[in-house]
Amino acid sequence: MPVDMQRIRELPALVRNPREMARHARSNVELWANILVIGGAIAFMLWQGAGFAVIVGTVFAIWAILSVSLNLVVGFTGLLSVGHIGFFGVGAYTMAILTSSPEYEQLRTEAIPTFGWPFFAALPVCALLAGLAAIIVGIVFNRFRDDIFVLVSFGFAIISFNVFLNWRAVTRGAFGIHEIARPEIGDWRFDGDVEFLLLCLAFLAVVMLISWFVVSSSFGRVLTAIREDEQAIEVFGYQATHYKLAVWVISAMMAGIAGGLFSSWTTFIDPNSFILLESVLLVAIVILGGLATIWGSLLGAMAFVLLEEGMRFIPFLPTEYIGQARQVVLGILLVLLMLFRPQGLVGRYRL
Amino acid sequence: MSSQRETARGFPARFNIPGTRVLALVLATAVVAYLAWKIGQSPPQALQFAFNGIAVGAVYALLAMGFTLVYSTVWFFDLYYGAAAALGAYGVFYLRTATALGSRADVNNVYVNAVFAAVVGGVVAWVLYTLLHPRLRGRFTPNTIGVASGLLGGGAGAYTGIVLAFPENLHLTLSPAIGVVVAAAAIVVPFWAVQTFVPNIRLSRFTAIAGLPAVVIGAWCGYLTAGAPGAGLYLSWAVSCLLAGCVGLALYRGLYMYMRERARSPLIMLVASLGILLAVAAFIVIVFEAAPRPLPTAFGSETWKIAGARIKGFNIFAIGVALAGFAILWLLLKQTSFGRAVRAIGDDEEVSKVVGINTTVIIAGVFFIGAMYAALAGILTGHDTAVQPRMGLLLLLKGWIASVVGGIGNLYGAIVGGFVLGVVEQFGIWDLAGEWKDAIAFVLLILFLSFWPQGLLPRR
Repeated sequence: MPVDMQRIRELPALVRNPREMARHARSNVELWANILVIGGAIAFMLWQGAGFAVIVGTVFAIWAILSVSLNLVVGFTGLLSVGHIGFFGVGAYTMAILTSSPEYEQLRTEAIPTFGWPFFAALPVCALLAGLAAIIVGIVFNRFRDDIFVLVSFGFAIISFNVFLNWRAVTRGAFGIHEIARPEIGDWRFDGDVEFLLLCLAFLAVVMLISWFVVSSSFGRVLTAIREDEQAIEVFGYQATHYKLAVWVISAMMAGIAGGLFSSWTTFIDPNSFILLESVLLVAIVILGGLATIWGSLLGAMAFVLLEEGMRFIPFLPTEYIGQARQVVLGILLVLLMLFRPQGLVGRYRL
Repeated sequence: MSSQRETARGFPARFNIPGTRVLALVLATAVVAYLAWKIGQSPPQALQFAFNGIAVGAVYALLAMGFTLVYSTVWFFDLYYGAAAALGAYGVFYLRTATALGSRADVNNVYVNAVFAAVVGGVVAWVLYTLLHPRLRGRFTPNTIGVASGLLGGGAGAYTGIVLAFPENLHLTLSPAIGVVVAAAAIVVPFWAVQTFVPNIRLSRFTAIAGLPAVVIGAWCGYLTAGAPGAGLYLSWAVSCLLAGCVGLALYRGLYMYMRERARSPLIMLVASLGILLAVAAFIVIVFEAAPRPLPTAFGSETWKIAGARIKGFNIFAIGVALAGFAILWLLLKQTSFGRAVRAIGDDEEVSKVVGINTTVIIAGVFFIGAMYAALAGILTGHDTAVQPRMGLLLLLKGWIASVVGGIGNLYGAIVGGFVLGVVEQFGIWDLAGEWKDAIAFVLLILFLSFWPQGLLPRR
């Protein structure tokens, strides 16, 4: 969360005057959004107990890594990409193939290459392959902006889904890949959910740190300038395309790491986890949380996860429709946000 | 003007790294030569693929026409368009699936009927008020006109609810509406013809003369419909097209209109309509199920063999529908004052407001027509294969690609682009599996945007 020093200096004077404070609090949407989401999360944890919260926390961490990385592209650079799930999928499949050991070969109807690597050796390769895919895609996509960029990024999501589904020699197509190994260091396996949650949170922290460095460096300021006016920054001698390609690749590598974590966590992946709809939901999370803030992406992912879990307790809603009901709520939220708050809950950039 | 707009909307300039265009040309020639060789190897198969391509292309052309109409008027990508296609297809499913399939009886839902009845009622009330108010301003107060159109709109909503509640009796419930529509057409068409070709005639007297036979013709048509239960399927096409169109109009009037006033960029509109698409797609899954469902068989399901290729009668009908849709849209856009207004708004909305075009009404009409075309395309796809909730987004993207390939904002480009996309897709899967179709379409799009960003037939 960006710290506004001016506000902090004004804080003591504000506290002394309760009526003024109440007025501030009432008009402060960001504050209320934070209180609502974090309070909801705490209430949920207290209510449901630690066991359930751990599983929900892992889902949240993976979505949060994805949305923080996507916010670099959408919020800070101003390229509305709907194809981010493709890089996530590249990471997930890389992890699945690299870590599956040859012993499972007999169980399979269709043979795929197996390597039997350990998790921590495979994770950098996930990031690298996702980055490689991003370079190839980025060189082609670099020339598009605004609406047309949205259209071609839809295209990337569809093409990558087609590749996952139809390149059976590597991905086993619709059958999916089973029995993906959990990570282990020496003798210690990350078998339990708590260990895996901690691992995911650690990677989330790393990703946030990297994003923070990217954003607060001079590189990040060039990205912001590209978002505001691409031609103006080119006049100053910056090659906008190089910067856009660089941030695109960084963001895709983070998504690749999220994919690796995801496939190791679920131990089973198939192309249905990487459909276009998931990507659209991801964009909805980023916009809901807030454009051009790292904290906002966390908030968005938290709200998204809480929305699904909270809907389990609506009495008249059948269980199989929870995902759909959440989608309806998200859709309506998107419309309302675009009407009244185009920067998202705590955003710094209006779309 | 036009070139400025296209760069502003994110259309790239042509690729100008030296050598790439030559390389692309060589590759394209190689692909064409390879295809020619394959066609030479087995002409019947090639004919089959070409026919399939044109049949699919007809649907894409319909989508692209509606899409390009909306886009070139308001200049943002309206993703509700895909939801309209799904709504149209599911409307037919809702109204016409036999109880034997075990779906309609438990699907027919009071809440769904009420939602659509409310939408239609609101739309009818608004249309009546906007049309009547300027004409009757001198004789009645605005309140009277408002109450009257509200009552009429409520009546229309109630009628829609009744129609939706008894889907097996569409031919009975819709026969009065058809009678009224035919009678109105029987008055309006001669009226228009007389006004155009005979100068200086007292039109009120003419209306009185033409009115009586018109009423008789209308009643007769209504009677014919009421006695023909087989017409139910085709009536359900009309009903679901109209419903999707009404939802589109209501969205524009209720949401997009306010949003466009304060939107800083077309991306805001795009994201908002993305939200609507998400909500409608999920709504469809909640009411129906996620699994693909077949629509009841229409006519023309038997196949003919022509020169070794299997040709389905329904596909020929789809091609006919696409051509008819093109003809209607051409007449509407190039021959009427409505079309002139649409083109004026597409060129410059502020100026057209200044010269006295009622932009709200015209754009609402554009949304209505666009959503109807999408719904029609969805229905044709549903009859050809099956309906599934995901079809909306895919059809939207196909229409989008087809209109970019043909040249966005150009009516001729839309129909050409649709057929080109269909044929390329089908020839593309000759050597690959059929599942690669969507990927091929997007590769075509990216190639076009890189090397030919204006499309086959640029707008002006």
